[in-house]
Amino acid sequence: MAYCVRCGVKLASGAKTCPLCGTEVLLPPGMEEPSSEPLFAKKLPPEGTRGITKARKGLVELIVALFVVSEITVGLSLFFSGALSYAFIPLFCIAMAAISLIAVVLAKPRYVNHASWQSLIAAILLLGLDGYDLTWAWSLIAAGGIAMFWMYGVFPWTRWAKKYAKGSVALSVLTTLFYVALINVVVSGSFTWFLPVAIPTLLALLVGSSLFLFWFANRKGNRIPIADIVLGSMVVLFISSAVFDGALTRYQTGAVYLRWASSLLVSAIVILLFMVAVSLSLRLRRYFTSHNRHD
Amino acid sequence: MKRIQNFAPEGFIALDNSALIYPPTEAVFNANTFRVSMDFSFTIKKTILEQALHDLLYRCSYAKVRLHTGFFWYYLSPNDAEPVVHEEGSYPSGRFAFKENNGYLFKVLYSEHRIALECFHALTDGSGAMNYLKLLVERYCHHAGIQQVKFSSGLDYKVRPTKQEFSDPFQHLYDKHVPSYPTISKAYHRKGNGPFDDRVKVISATILTEQIKERAKERSLTIGEYLSSVYLYSLQQLQIEEIPNQKQRKPIRLSVPMNLRRIFGYDTMRNFTLFAVVGIEPALGFYEFDEIATEVHLQMVQAQSKKRLLSQIKRNVSGERIPIIRFAPTALKNPLFKLLSDFLGDDQYSGVISNLGYVALPSQLENQVVRCDFHLSPGLLNKISLSVIGYLDRIVVNFNSFYATDTSLERIFCTFLVEDGIQVEIATNRENTR
Repeated sequence: MAYCVRCGVKLASGAKTCPLCGTEVLLPPGMEEPSSEPLFAKKLPPEGTRGITKARKGLVELIVALFVVSEITVGLSLFFSGALSYAFIPLFCIAMAAISLIAVVLAKPRYVNHASWQSLIAAILLLGLDGYDLTWAWSLIAAGGIAMFWMYGVFPWTRWAKKYAKGSVALSVLTTLFYVALINVVVSGSFTWFLPVAIPTLLALLVGSSLFLFWFANRKGNRIPIADIVLGSMVVLFISSAVFDGALTRYQTGAVYLRWASSLLVSAIVILLFMVAVSLSLRLRRYFTSHNRHD
Repeated sequence: MKRIQNFAPEGFIALDNSALIYPPTEAVFNANTFRVSMDFSFTIKKTILEQALHDLLYRCSYAKVRLHTGFFWYYLSPNDAEPVVHEEGSYPSGRFAFKENNGYLFKVLYSEHRIALECFHALTDGSGAMNYLKLLVERYCHHAGIQQVKFSSGLDYKVRPTKQEFSDPFQHLYDKHVPSYPTISKAYHRKGNGPFDDRVKVISATILTEQIKERAKERSLTIGEYLSSVYLYSLQQLQIEEIPNQKQRKPIRLSVPMNLRRIFGYDTMRNFTLFAVVGIEPALGFYEFDEIATEVHLQMVQAQSKKRLLSQIKRNVSGERIPIIRFAPTALKNPLFKLLSDFLGDDQYSGVISNLGYVALPSQLENQVVRCDFHLSPGLLNKISLSVIGYLDRIVVNFNSFYATDTSLERIFCTFLVEDGIQVEIATNRENTR
């Protein structure tokens, strides 16, 4: 039997390291110890069992108990006051509040998990409030807005989005198109301005962004100055605004001209020319920047 | 002081006062279980063990129960299902799977040379479980034709169970005129290093009784007091590393379960344990080991005073008797018990050290018993529990831990013993050391 040289404890026969400090057991060459009987019959399983801890379980049970009590109390009070026909909304709100609290207690403490659950619960709550008579109107736009928040505020931080970056961008674009179409259908009852106004504007936005991304991605060196990102975004936004103005004017009056976005278009062209010039001429670049980041 | 006993051997059996907290607070990292076991030089056969288990349940009919969730309280009722003998797994004192165990609150396990009894705390405490194990071993030896053995203390198979065996002494000892025991402030809890999971990793330290007895005697301590002092001393070292600012150091306290059977002269097989809380105040300055030993000795003597124990019993039982608690549905009581158990229990101490005492073996078994063990499930706040048991000329101190890699407490504890001239032999179920 060996002793740990660091702790001074006697180790079980055949031990390779000291369980207390991890010091390796070094036996003289050629000497081997038979392994002693293990402390328990089997090896430790690779993972522990899973479950909810005592305090979390307690909180969930407390929420459920309070939920049941509130539902019964509100239900009975509405029944006795003769307002049972209005019972759906308060009872539904209590249920959604309970589910929201339980989600807070049970969800893994990650932004993506909490934001996803709370977005879903908020969307269901709005759809439920609007659709108690089985017709949905404003809640579709509101729930769609929540979906858009999730798409741009939560989805990029998911594992899937990180793994498939291009796919997630495409999905975001499609979702945006779908949401704009939904607004059009809900507000007007059919596609009216979606095809002649929204599609060209979004297309301009998409094409402009893609071209700039392509341009930046193919530059020498990896660093893109913030000034270029800001200027590029301005160009894309100004041109998209001009397209929106032109498309809206044509949709409303039938004529092709710009009503208020002509100055934006001119600004976009000036900025674009400046960016191209700075990119092509080393002298210009040195004149406008304190250090050369483009190489 | 007088109260009619609240048990009924058939039908509905109320949990004892001490057990009320265990079913609602059972969860991952809070298994509320413990295990006692004996290792033998002979091979254990499952069929014989099953016979022995039948005998045990025939003698101790009050253990033949299952747990139910009632509308107001959890309760026990007779269990007619076949008891199951399990093959030993990889770690002790895990969460109790009642369904796999046909509803029984205790589990008999075996391996090649070991008979173990794992118990959910709602059924009994460590001393009760040890009595069950002794009877199980007696019956095993009887059926295996090894030898007729009889442990000096414990249950007699041939004698009918007395009423006292399944009585709840807490209800007898409750006196509403005694003031309630005061609650105490929060204690220090180790943060620990590295990951943890709910598999109980054990480091087992075996010590020669003679050596530790000598060291304890030098300081006029019992062995239990000596080990508690070492535990406090180790926690103090870890606290100093963790909290450099002396003023911010919270009290370090240990919960030391006390067997009340000897103190009050009851022979119950249900829970009859209270906790002595012994500790130091590191905010006042560094405690030398001898200072800790003096504190522990004085506090243990105080804690064993009958008057203080009756006051604790008053506090515990009166909680159960408050009408609003008594008539509140279980669904409402459960979450409150779960949330309050930390504030009133685990929060107040920094560790548990449970000493089951010396197991006197019958002379016929002295050469047959290789080892005795006692394991106690740790908790989420105090992720290491210490369980101590003595047999023949040895004492086994088991460190039951949830930490995957952190063994600093165990190291400081064992190194102190070695430096104090006590030889310590270490064994473990941690994988990286084999």
